[in-house]
Formats: sequence, C-alpha cells, structure tokens
Amino acid sequence: MTHIFDIKETLKHAVLIVAAIIVILPFYVMSSYSLKSPSEIEANRGGFIGAQQLMEDDKCTAIKGDVEECYFRPVVYNYTMAFKKAPLLRYLLNGVFVTVSIFILQVLIALPCAYALAKLRFWGRELVFTMVLFCLLIPVHAIALPLYIMLAKLGLTNTYAALIIPWTISVFGIFLMRQFFMTVPDDLLDAARMDGMSEFSIIWKVMLPTAIPALMAFAIFSVVAHWNDYFWPRVVITGNRDLFTPPLGLREFKGDADGSAYGPMMATAMIIVAPLIVGFLLAQKRFIEGITLSGMK
Amino acid sequence: MRPGHSSSTPFWLTFPAVALMFLILILPIIIAAILSFTDYSLGNVGAEWVAFENYERMLTRRTYIKMIIATVTYVGVVVPASLILGLCAALLINSLKFGQAIYKTIYFLPVMAALLAMAIVWEFALHPTIGIVNEILEDGCTVPWVKFLLSFEFLPWTDPSASWFATGCSEGFPLWLGDRDYAIWTICFIGIWQGFGFNMVLYLAGLTSVPRELYHAAQVDGAKSAWDRFWLVTWPMLGPTNVFVVTITSIRSFQVFDTVEALTQGGPSKTTFVMMFAIYEKAIKENQIGLGAAITIVFLVLVLLMTLFQRQFVEKKVHYS
Repeated sequence: MTHIFDIKETLKHAVLIVAAIIVILPFYVMSSYSLKSPSEIEANRGGFIGAQQLMEDDKCTAIKGDVEECYFRPVVYNYTMAFKKAPLLRYLLNGVFVTVSIFILQVLIALPCAYALAKLRFWGRELVFTMVLFCLLIPVHAIALPLYIMLAKLGLTNTYAALIIPWTISVFGIFLMRQFFMTVPDDLLDAARMDGMSEFSIIWKVMLPTAIPALMAFAIFSVVAHWNDYFWPRVVITGNRDLFTPPLGLREFKGDADGSAYGPMMATAMIIVAPLIVGFLLAQKRFIEGITLSGMK
Repeated sequence: MRPGHSSSTPFWLTFPAVALMFLILILPIIIAAILSFTDYSLGNVGAEWVAFENYERMLTRRTYIKMIIATVTYVGVVVPASLILGLCAALLINSLKFGQAIYKTIYFLPVMAALLAMAIVWEFALHPTIGIVNEILEDGCTVPWVKFLLSFEFLPWTDPSASWFATGCSEGFPLWLGDRDYAIWTICFIGIWQGFGFNMVLYLAGLTSVPRELYHAAQVDGAKSAWDRFWLVTWPMLGPTNVFVVTITSIRSFQVFDTVEALTQGGPSKTTFVMMFAIYEKAIKENQIGLGAAITIVFLVLVLLMTLFQRQFVEKKVHYS
C-alpha cells in the first residue's frame, strides 16, 4: 500500500489546516496590526507588515512643528508608543514580581505540608489530608467577593499583598507534591536522619532536589495562570496604576483608545503575550506537562 | 516515633498550610454564606438581616434570570463543543503519518496566551467595519465557489438566497459583539477557540494509553470500520480522560469573566451577563455585597454539585480500564 497521493491523509490535513488558520487568525491580526500604521489598519491595506512608510506623529508635530524627529516607521512608532502611552515597563515588572512571589510562597508553604503528609505519621494527618481534598473543590475565583471584603477590612486593597496573599496557598500544589513524595524511598530519608539532619533540612536538601521535575511543571502551571490572570487583579486593584499587572494595563489602554492607538495597543498585547508563547515554543513538552497538570487531580 | 523529629515537627510543617487553607478558602465561604442573608455593604456600619430576600431576588428579577440563562448557555455550548473539537483534533492528529507536532503546537497556542489580550484582538478581528472577519466574509460574496459552499447551493432542498451567508451578503454581516442575537455565541466561540487545544492534549495523552492489541482484537471480533472500532475500543478506554476533561472544562467555563468584562460588559441587554461578571458588577462595583454573596453561594453550590456528580461518575467508569 504505497500511495504517493493518499486521499484520506490529504483530507485530514485539509481539515486540520482550515482549523489551524482559524486558530492562528487572531495571532496574525495582533502581530500584523502591531506593525502597521493607523491608516493601513483602518483601510485593511498593506498585507502583513504594511508599507512601513514614514508616518507623522500628530501630537509631536503639534508641539515641535514639522521636524524630522516627529516622523516614524509605523513599527517603531507602535512599539515605542506602547511603552510611552502607559508605564508598560512598570506593569511588566509588577507582573514578574507578583508571579514570582506567588510561586515562591506556594512552594515554601506547600512543600513542608506535602512532606509531612507523605512521610510522617502524626495525629491529625488524615484530617489534614481530608481538608486538602475538600479544598481542592473550591475554585478561588469563585470566592473572590468574601476575600475582597476581608482584604478591604484589613485595608489591603490596592497593595501588592492583595495581589499575592490569596494565591499563597496552593492546595493543588500540596496534593501534587504529596503524591510525588510518596514515591521517594524511605531509605533515603532514614540515611539522612542517620546523618543527623533535621526534618527541615531534609525537606530542603533531600526532598526538594528529588522533586525538581515535578516542581518545574508546577512552576509553569503557576506562572502561566498568574501572568495571564485578569480577574483577580481587576477586583483588588481599583485605582492605583502603579500596581497594575500587564493584563490590567492592556485593559486600561483599550478603555482610552481612539482610532490612532490600535497599533500601539496591539503592540502592547504582543509584548504581554510573547514571553509565554516564546517559552512554550522553546520548551513545548515542559509547558504542556505543566499546563495539563490540573488534569491529573 | 522515628528518630530525628520531635512530636511537634509535623505540626509546624503543616500549620502554615492548614491555617491558610482555613483563612483563604474555608472562612470566605462561611462569610459569604452569612452575608448572603444580609443587606451588608462596605462602608456602612451595620447590616440588616434580610433572610432569603437576596435569593428571592435572584430567582424573580429578570436580570438574574438572564444571568442564569447566559451562564448555562455558555457552559452548555462551550463544554460539549470544546470537548468534541478537542477529541476530533486528537483523533485526526493521532492518525496522521506526518506533521503531528505542528498541529499540536498551533492548537495549543491559545491556551498559553493571556485570554484578555486575545479577547481584545478578537474584538478587532470581529469589528463590523475594519475587522478582518467581516471583510473576508464580504470578499467571499463575490467569489462564486465560496458562495456556492457557504450558502449551501449544493443542497437542492434549501433556498440558497435565504441562507445565512446570502442574507449577510445582501444585508451586511452581523455586528457580532454588539448584536444581542450574536453576542453570547461570539463569547462562546472565543471560549471554545481558547480551550479546545487543552482538551486535545489531554485526549492525545489518553489515546497513547489505549493498548494496540485491543484494536486488533476488535477487528477480529468483526469491528470492520474505524467508526465501529472507535465506539468499541477508543471511547470506553477514554472514560477517565473524559471525566477529567468534562470536569475541568465545565469549572473553567463557569468562571468565564475576561471576555465578557472586556468586550460586552454583560450586554447587549444582559445576554452575556454571566455569573462571575454579575458578582463583579453587583457586589464589587455597585457595593451590593449581600446580593453578590448570594450569587457566590449559588455559584459554589453549582460547581460543587457538578464536581461531586462527576466524581461519582468516575468511580463507576474508571474501573473499566
């Protein structure tokens, strides 16, 4: 059965390609618009990258007159305006700070608990584990309102703490790491105890290194979820722009946008989406592993 | 007791996690339950006990009935659609001779991208005047074979000029997000677009665990067509995967917020007023905390019931494999 032209296979590819085009369409629109000038966007001209003719920045010429420094290539204009119109750099740093803090705190809190549940016998262990299983059922976004009230009562809305605290406890992380620790042989622990290591140092010096692969997957899971999260920052950050995370910044941009800002706005969207997409393209397997972790509950 | 740790060690190891679980996950539910029976609002000193008034309002006011309709429509469309598309994509990709990796990568892209950003991009693409979608559709009107296909001229029993596409060509294509007949479906579409790649990956993983011999056995038993083999072998073997996929997709779709907040604000005429957006708008923006708490409780009960129902289902199905 050696067909040079396999009809069945070709049909399958045809279907998959049509679907792929629909999936890619917004990515195409986003990258294309981030390169083109406003007039090209509005008239839908210029193909993917546009003609890249020099364009005039109206606001600049209004102040400085018709000088050379007020003319830009659209791509340069869009990407510089993305950073100038709003403090995008600050938003990005906020995003990094919040996602990294959340991940570190999640690990600091979940790992010892997971270790105790997996490897120590103590009174109340079953109770703690039942609590973990119960809490797995609670979607944190759903209890946003009471959490918001609690934070407001503590005077913590519009602070970094409000962005981070509700996510410090990852029940899923505890569950995942417990399952992993169960597979670590007891001999390893006994040897460490013989050497006089305390339980705390066993966790960080023996268990943590063995858990690196699982932890990597969890890191990707956590970082992707919180970098992309829009709902929670929207709830707790009401006015203070200094605390905006990247999605909030983009949303604000959309709120003020007029026709001329489409290009810079799409450039902002590109900048926000790019880190994770690039990461994914470079380390697909790890990313897919991490993101689908929640499917293993 | 093993040597090396005193009896208080396990306590100190688990205490931070247990305390936070209580403060962050359990206490808020209790607070929401209590507040849902009051007319509490932030900034006011006291609160009146109003018993079931908030819940009553939810069941009688048009706005909240629309909220339930919007939420159920969204979940009812997005869950089956992204499930079926995810499964079809997985089956097709799995049967390919080459090019599996590239499709997998492409279909997974939307899962990685910030939904808010992509929602805004979709809004551009669907823009009635400068959007690429309506422009492509309008261009299609002048291409005979596109028109032939999309207005179903090849089906003799239909009237091509009355088809959706032909109407669009003559009277203009919809406003999508601004049209009350289309807004919720457009929001659903974005949800499906974003989520089916995730399901595809789970199904691909599920498919690799189906033993090859079973297919041969099925063939020997007379399951001649691929269709028969699918229902005899693949589908039952995917039981556990199905349960995961349904659970996760439904919990996620219940929580849809980003697209609605950024694109429709619940409108037009509350057709996209989903529950998470209702909680946000009523309780956090308008400070009607009691009412928001009642919606929160209903929401939690719905999600919990669904999860428990599915767990029940798993118990029965998982033992299959």
